[in-house]
Amino acid sequence: MWAQYFEQLINGLVQGGIYALIAVGYTMVYGIIQLINFAHGEIYMFGAYFGLILITVFKIPFWFALPLAMLLCALLGMLIDYVAYRPLRNAPRLSALITAIGISIALQNLARMFWTAEPRVYPTDSLPSIFVSGINDMGEVINVIPLPGGGTLPYRDVFILLIAVALMIILNLLIYYTRIGKAMRACAQNATAANLMGINANRVILATFAVGSALGAVAGVMVGLSENVTPTMGYYKGVAAFAAAVLGGIGSVTGAIVGGLLIGIAEAFGADLHSGYRIAFAYIIMMLVILIRPTGLFGKATSKRA
Amino acid sequence: MKDKLTPRNIILCVVICSLPWILFGIDEISRLLTDQYRISFGWPGAGYILRIIIRACLYMLLAIGLNVVCGFTGLLDLGYVAFYLIGGYTAGILMSLLGVHYVIALPLAVMHATAWGLLRGIPTLRLTGDYFAIVTFGFAELFFRIVKNETWLTGGVPNGQLRGVPAPTIPFTSISFDLNWHHYYHIIILLVIVVFVTYRLQNSRVGRAWVAIREDEQAAESMGINVGRYKSLAFAVSAAIGGIGGAFLAQFQVSFSAQFFEFWESIFILCMVVLGGMGSIRGAMLGAVILGSLGEILRLTLTNYPKIAGSRMLLFGIILVLLMRFRPSGLMYKKS
Repeated sequence: MWAQYFEQLINGLVQGGIYALIAVGYTMVYGIIQLINFAHGEIYMFGAYFGLILITVFKIPFWFALPLAMLLCALLGMLIDYVAYRPLRNAPRLSALITAIGISIALQNLARMFWTAEPRVYPTDSLPSIFVSGINDMGEVINVIPLPGGGTLPYRDVFILLIAVALMIILNLLIYYTRIGKAMRACAQNATAANLMGINANRVILATFAVGSALGAVAGVMVGLSENVTPTMGYYKGVAAFAAAVLGGIGSVTGAIVGGLLIGIAEAFGADLHSGYRIAFAYIIMMLVILIRPTGLFGKATSKRA
Repeated sequence: MKDKLTPRNIILCVVICSLPWILFGIDEISRLLTDQYRISFGWPGAGYILRIIIRACLYMLLAIGLNVVCGFTGLLDLGYVAFYLIGGYTAGILMSLLGVHYVIALPLAVMHATAWGLLRGIPTLRLTGDYFAIVTFGFAELFFRIVKNETWLTGGVPNGQLRGVPAPTIPFTSISFDLNWHHYYHIIILLVIVVFVTYRLQNSRVGRAWVAIREDEQAAESMGINVGRYKSLAFAVSAAIGGIGGAFLAQFQVSFSAQFFEFWESIFILCMVVLGGMGSIRGAMLGAVILGSLGEILRLTLTNYPKIAGSRMLLFGIILVLLMRFRPSGLMYKKS
């Protein structure tokens, strides 16, 4: 019984790591320009496709494909900001939201045009063989960590979790110990004042989009390793990750990480109870948290909406 | 209210009332031209056009309903589809599985939706901004999951599919309203009622209270407006309109599934409201006409260009972006 719960918890943490990676993209953009960037889920989806194309078509090893996919997604995120969001900086907030939805629809259908709606999978040899769990000649399951109670944890999942944790640490270092991170925090506090202090807000916003999109790309590649890659994959995970960001208190990076982990764990336990409601449990947890703490776990009291 | 019987409005009224017959007339002319002179101007048929118009009218209804919460009280509702779903499934289950007549099923569906609108209001009254938005989204998603998974509720077919919703009939006769022009007049009547009610509400004490809440909740409260009560009223009105839309959809669509009520549908209706200009009933209607028919118009025009026909939704997204780029405050925005 408890062993089973432990296994769900571990699975939830792995999923949660991925949610956290996506949620950070939502929350960072929101923190600075108060925009729910609906297109972020699609950037994550493009990340998965970029990784797939780089590995299968260009035959680039995984360790180079991952940073390349991050770079491509960062460029995509910056392009979207430059083309679509920048002209609407001073427009009503909801107009920017609709623009984000428009971009999201356009990107999703662009992916469908390029790569068709057919689900694709990463080739099994895209990762080093140590990360591919299977059954060896002796009939033993290999490349897994046995968990108490008979469950197993593939090395691949450990790898995903480690990557997520490492990136989160790097992100925190970036935000708290670099010039651009300082500028991001300044813009999040008060964009006008930051501008007056000589910070180029537009450049900071571009950097925010780049960082968020790169993390989204990592999440896309990680999910691609274990699940199907489809043009609509961004919707499901994107919305859940947004819920995670709000649950943690939108605008707060720590909140997004904790929220992502919570949503992942809630989903894992939900799937255990009733597979049709797996994500519904995550939403119930999110709603309960917001109803008890209306600004999310780590959120500061927000100003009135536009 | 001022006298609105201007020639323009009378003509508009006549056109709306006789639209199906105009379309059927074009149908005849088109048939005549192809039969006699072998000329075809690519007329897709009155039935098809009429169905697009009915769909656009249904979206108008829903956009007006969402506008009550989003436009009047200024709260971002990402889960409006929940009430559409509740209305649709209540009416659908009552009519197809329990054999209840539409005349009874419609008010029951509306009441059910209204009740949930009020219930949702209890926990969300104190939330603002995006926290309100995400809770409404979660609420809608829960209902979506319930109708998708609880097949015992919907007659045992997976995916919440509900089949064979009967058309409304005149009681004790076999005359049923199942033709396209029946549906057209049906939705027009519902639409007129909803527009009238929301218009009167907008220009009343209630409407002014809503706008006051939208502009500044604290100031409104200090002016003696019971914010909680007026917000609840807005939720109830909005949910009721969603319920009407759902009940109409049930008998119009005959069979439908949970896929009709995905999150995307809420977003689609929200786009209509924002596109038209928040807080304007006319704007919501205009936005609904544009977006509600844009997909089909693109489909019709792009069939001649098969190379880009597959990119219909891509164009849809780009058009959305461009519209917002050049009219960021909506098409019907009034400076106040």
